[in-house]
Amino acid sequence: MKFAYRNLRLCTKDCLCLYVCPTGATDTEDSIIDVTKCNGCGACSDACPSGAISMVPKEYPAQQKHGERVLASLDKLSKSKTEQEDIARGIAASTDKDGLYRLMKAFEMSNRLMAEDILRESGYMLPQSANAQNFLISMLENPPKGFPVKAAEDILDSIGCNEPELLRKRKGEAAYKCGYCGVIFMAPEGSDLTCPACKTSGESFKKVE
Amino acid sequence: MKYRCTICGHIYDEEKEKTLFKDLPDDWKCPLCGALKSDFVPVEDAKAKKMISEPVEDFEDMEGLTVSQMSALCSNLARGCEKQYRFDDMRSFTELAEYFGSISPAVNDGKVEDIASRIMSDVNENYPGAVEVCSQEADRGAWRICVWGEKVTRMLNSLVKRYLEEGEDMLKDTQIWVCTICGFVYVGDLPPEMCPVCKVPSWKFQKMEAKA
Repeated sequence: MKFAYRNLRLCTKDCLCLYVCPTGATDTEDSIIDVTKCNGCGACSDACPSGAISMVPKEYPAQQKHGERVLASLDKLSKSKTEQEDIARGIAASTDKDGLYRLMKAFEMSNRLMAEDILRESGYMLPQSANAQNFLISMLENPPKGFPVKAAEDILDSIGCNEPELLRKRKGEAAYKCGYCGVIFMAPEGSDLTCPACKTSGESFKKVE
Repeated sequence: MKYRCTICGHIYDEEKEKTLFKDLPDDWKCPLCGALKSDFVPVEDAKAKKMISEPVEDFEDMEGLTVSQMSALCSNLARGCEKQYRFDDMRSFTELAEYFGSISPAVNDGKVEDIASRIMSDVNENYPGAVEVCSQEADRGAWRICVWGEKVTRMLNSLVKRYLEEGEDMLKDTQIWVCTICGFVYVGDLPPEMCPVCKVPSWKFQKMEAKA
């Protein structure tokens, strides 16, 4: 359940990956390993003398949960950082002083980076998390004016959730219980079902509320 | 007597240096990260330092995310997708981040002093409060982010204080660099060889360009 990824900054073109790859996935014009051909065997990563190839997981486990008091104090911090980012952006836009402009652009960027870090530790580390996906699903339920609906739908359709039991219901979806392993998951109503946990498919699913 | 830089951890050891710390000029700066003399603390004091502020208790009436937070939330998830080499999803999250950025209310009358006062409440209240809660709940991930963020915030405090005192002279004929990983800001002709806060190499720093 892994695929090979080459870091072009480290690659010194020793080309041993070409010799050992059983599927030809490393033989590309742009030096980027072809994910559709890679079978995850890891031979290229073992052979590479410059350590430029890592085996990247396809699935990520759910992250550690944070307590409510931790989340409340992190929320205060990320609010403060985004406020400072907004003020810095406003000053940079209106000033004609070169030093102040550059300093405020630096503050804008720095506060955004800190806000991102804080939100990452507030339960939004992985795009696979129920928090991240529920955020998108709730935006789609009543999208504000100009909201990029397609971008949000594309993400939900392409990234699987690693906490399906915590996922909100999307429009046109129903909850199903796997008759084999008991896991409850969301899927479009009337579609061909496969259990996300035990990978069973077929007739053993029961619709639940 | 030893003094430690609260931003990068550099130790000024009076036994090894020629000058006593108190006799250093007021415009002396940390040789490693460029922090102010006032950002140094005596080493003993730092060890004995106790958390004074109260942890946040009002989580029950925690309000929802602001539009600006949503923008940072989505740009953070765009980075998460980039790290997993999911470039299409990265672009979608970037589009969402830009959307929330575009609808967040513009701040037109902000002043440098408004940033300075928010930095002070982060340094004096918000970070010590968060660190206290994280240690009580043994939340290492959240604690680590507070440690990095507090150092970067102290650096911003240094820079904003200097700018309010020195004005444009502070930044004349020199560059401003931002660490693209932790947000550390450095003033100097070249970026530091290694980020003093998160230890990434100099090529991870971005130069702030003049207004186009």
